[in-house]
Amino acid sequence: MSLPCHDVGMGKAPEPGPGSRAGRPQDMEVTGDLPLSLTGFLGRTARLVARDDLVADLDRAAAGKVTIISAPAGSGKTSLLRAWAARPGRAHRVVYLPVRRDEQDAQVFWLALLHAVRPATGTISDTEPPVATPDFDVRTLADRVFSALARQRDPLTIVIDDLHELDSPESLAQLTRLLANLPPHVHAMVATRHDLRLPLHQLRLAGELAEIRGEDLRFTERETRELLDASGIALSQDETALLHQRTEGWAAGLRLAAISLAGHPDPERFIAEFSGSERTVAEYLIAEMLERQPDDVQNLLLRTSLLDRVNGDLADLLAGRPGSERILLSLEDANAFVVSLDPERTWFRYHHLFADLLRLELRRTRPAEVPALHRRAAQWFIRHGQAGDAIRHIQAAGDWPEAARLLADHSFRMTMDGQGQTVRALLRAFPRPADYPELALVRAARNVAWGHLDEAAADLKIAQTYAETTPPDRQRRLAIAIASLQLRLATRRGHLADVTEQARFLAAPVTGQSEEDIALGNDLRVVALMNLGTVEASRGLADAERHLRQGAALAREIGRPYLEVRCLAQLGPASKMRSFTAAREYCEEAIALAERHGWGAEWVIAPALVALADTMVWTGEFDEAERWLQPAARALQADTGPDIRLLLHQTTGMLLAARGRHREALEEFSAAESLQSQLEGRPATAGQVTGWMLATRARIGMTGEASAALEAVSDELAGSGELSNARAVIRLAEGDPAAALGAVRDVLAGTAPVIGYVTVIEAQLLAGLAYRELGDQRAANQAAERALTLAEADGVVLPFAMTDSRELLTALPSHETAHAALLADILDILRGSPMTSAQDAAWLATELSPGELRVLRYLPTNLSRREIAGELSVSVNTVSTQLRSIYAKLGVNDRSEAVHRARELRLLTTGGTR
Amino acid sequence: MRSHLPPHDHGVMDPAPAPYLIRINGHLGATMLSAFPAMAGRHHGAHTMLTGLLDRSALYGVLAEIDALGLELLEVRQLTQDRESLESGDSRSP
Repeated sequence: MSLPCHDVGMGKAPEPGPGSRAGRPQDMEVTGDLPLSLTGFLGRTARLVARDDLVADLDRAAAGKVTIISAPAGSGKTSLLRAWAARPGRAHRVVYLPVRRDEQDAQVFWLALLHAVRPATGTISDTEPPVATPDFDVRTLADRVFSALARQRDPLTIVIDDLHELDSPESLAQLTRLLANLPPHVHAMVATRHDLRLPLHQLRLAGELAEIRGEDLRFTERETRELLDASGIALSQDETALLHQRTEGWAAGLRLAAISLAGHPDPERFIAEFSGSERTVAEYLIAEMLERQPDDVQNLLLRTSLLDRVNGDLADLLAGRPGSERILLSLEDANAFVVSLDPERTWFRYHHLFADLLRLELRRTRPAEVPALHRRAAQWFIRHGQAGDAIRHIQAAGDWPEAARLLADHSFRMTMDGQGQTVRALLRAFPRPADYPELALVRAARNVAWGHLDEAAADLKIAQTYAETTPPDRQRRLAIAIASLQLRLATRRGHLADVTEQARFLAAPVTGQSEEDIALGNDLRVVALMNLGTVEASRGLADAERHLRQGAALAREIGRPYLEVRCLAQLGPASKMRSFTAAREYCEEAIALAERHGWGAEWVIAPALVALADTMVWTGEFDEAERWLQPAARALQADTGPDIRLLLHQTTGMLLAARGRHREALEEFSAAESLQSQLEGRPATAGQVTGWMLATRARIGMTGEASAALEAVSDELAGSGELSNARAVIRLAEGDPAAALGAVRDVLAGTAPVIGYVTVIEAQLLAGLAYRELGDQRAANQAAERALTLAEADGVVLPFAMTDSRELLTALPSHETAHAALLADILDILRGSPMTSAQDAAWLATELSPGELRVLRYLPTNLSRREIAGELSVSVNTVSTQLRSIYAKLGVNDRSEAVHRARELRLLTTGGTR
Repeated sequence: MRSHLPPHDHGVMDPAPAPYLIRINGHLGATMLSAFPAMAGRHHGAHTMLTGLLDRSALYGVLAEIDALGLELLEVRQLTQDRESLESGDSRSP
């Protein structure tokens, strides 16, 4: 259960692969696959022919950037790569990544690649190994591969085998980008059965692309002889020539022939009959080979050919007799068609062509056995917690109702394990999905994740109706899955009552004693706490923080970092009403943890990115806020749900309003208001959004519309401090300062309900502006001073910027204020340069991770790496890693060039230091 | 057996099934032929001719199978004019 890759190392003993089963946290398990080991890729090369000429060709090719080996099945691509990697005198690191058969889960491929290219050991101690996540983006993962490669110092060759098996157009597009932009010290070798759509013209033109094709891989007669010699087969020169001719130098044919010839009583007759036959080489030789095997071996090979990989236990089960492991081991020793996958040699796979032929033979000669074998294999995978493989086999057995049942029952766990794409691929395999109502549950999960909330609700209704018709034990399972999705749906819609009810249901102890039941119970408790806290936060309820903290702690305890990050990411939004400082700390903690796992720019951390930007807008760090908003906006691109987008639009609107860009701000506030109306309950900040939207209209001269809209606001909201402030802005814009003063009277008196003291600051400033209009400078000064007093503790700046109180503040004599420092700061910010609009700055800001941007800000200082690390409370390694990545992304070689380039791109600003 | 078909991006609907002839080098035996259940096979000289009604997806499926089994593809032809050739010729079955 892990990543199908292995670091071939530099002739030293292999480290335990990422897939070693000991001591791995459960959420590292990514797929139902195993690492291909040193033994698998390199170790048992005794029977391989050296093929020195081809190896030398590859050596020459490796001087360029990319080598593509494109040749038909059985041409000896993998064997050549193995021979090359094992050649004496090889000095640098090679990582080998075979693509799993018919791989549709792009995440599996990219995580394996990322894992493979991560620097060997010790260099990035504080970066967690990559793990699968329920929400994942190919591009983001590809970017992480880029930065992992950029961090490399030593020459590295990446070998990707069987690329034709990767069924993911997006992955091929990203792989093309990767191959076209490899760092100078990295070489890639790609083996595939047929040419793929990898537009690499630039590399070809630059002479950086080497191609090895089927014709090049054909065995020469001399190589044929070497192969036979290596297998201890003595043939005459004529017989060798005949064999070479009959197989046309096709590697698989020669190897199959060698198996049959080894120990053959009459090799001469074998060659004569083989060359006399007109049957295809593969079919003839497979039949010969099978015939020469003892019954138990034949039986084993045929029956286990249905598996993508096999171990002794599983083989015993399918073969119906013990002793399979011994047979598998001896088969591996004897030929190149059975390969072990782990250093301990417990898992094996068959060469694809070999397996395909065996499967055909099985189906032809024992058709009745096939469904039963699939079912037996499925039971084994279920027992071993590998639902994806189990469901694949059940589907292959044609048991569609059973497959639908299993998929519905396991989709929650599989999604939590980051196998969302596998779930979707399994869903696509159903010929008539509409026949199976439980599949609605699986569709609902996808729709909730993508924010298609109405569709999700419809799917859940179907699933629920169906669940009522099932037996009680199943009903419980389905009810849990449905409740968890309803919970997520209710959270995304802001429906507090529903969330509370579902969360209570889910947090109840799960009945059952099995490990899976207990793990499921823990997952569900975290999910319940997380959703409960999230919706409570959006309502401004005090329990939110407690529930989210409990969720985060439990997630950490059960080793689910992804859920931990999700809980922490909601703590920022949950605490900002209480304290900007607390919110900022939570956000930074969440972002730091997310970055350690490489999720710093992903969907999961978006709430914390937005909340951090939000606190920065409040405290006047506008440029900095903008830089956090950009990755957040990108992370939320695919998400159409109202809940998080609402916060994004609101914060963006605040930033634009603070910079006096009212028309654009109005668009953002209107978008936020419209999303707000899609939510079931009113979020705590609803008054702010509506109030600012109306005030912004008034500020751009749309006073009539603003007034009319104000009259239409519900009574409950109309009495709030936020709407009172909006009324004041409208009256000021209408030239009626006395009415404006009347509008904010209740807010100033403390009798109007307000979201927080920031509303009172705004009311004081509006009062101050009204007094100035009325010519009462003394009252204006007093109002400004009261606003400053309230703003002092948290350093709040936004209301001053939004109300354009510069003249009000300038008129305040310095001897009349107790807040001279804050006053000066605010005036500096209000006079500050307008927003950077350079396009490339915006572009680069999204290319650099938030962590890198933070480090970048310190480059113009004379702080050492160690000191920067101290300032940011991270390790020196992290800073060094980020520096290398920054240099690579900016295309510079040292710190001074980086500073120069960053200045050009306006990535460094004087404002917003932290 | 396998399912990785190239995506269609010709922007037209999949046309109706048409008779195809596919010529492969060597004689396909019962095992190999079982990989092409939708096609009839017969030996013709040193080659095997597979014929059958295929729509575009099925055709690419057959080609992928030929690729996967390491068979040598010699010819693919649509028999639009010449439907009777489906029945004619050497009917020797493997």
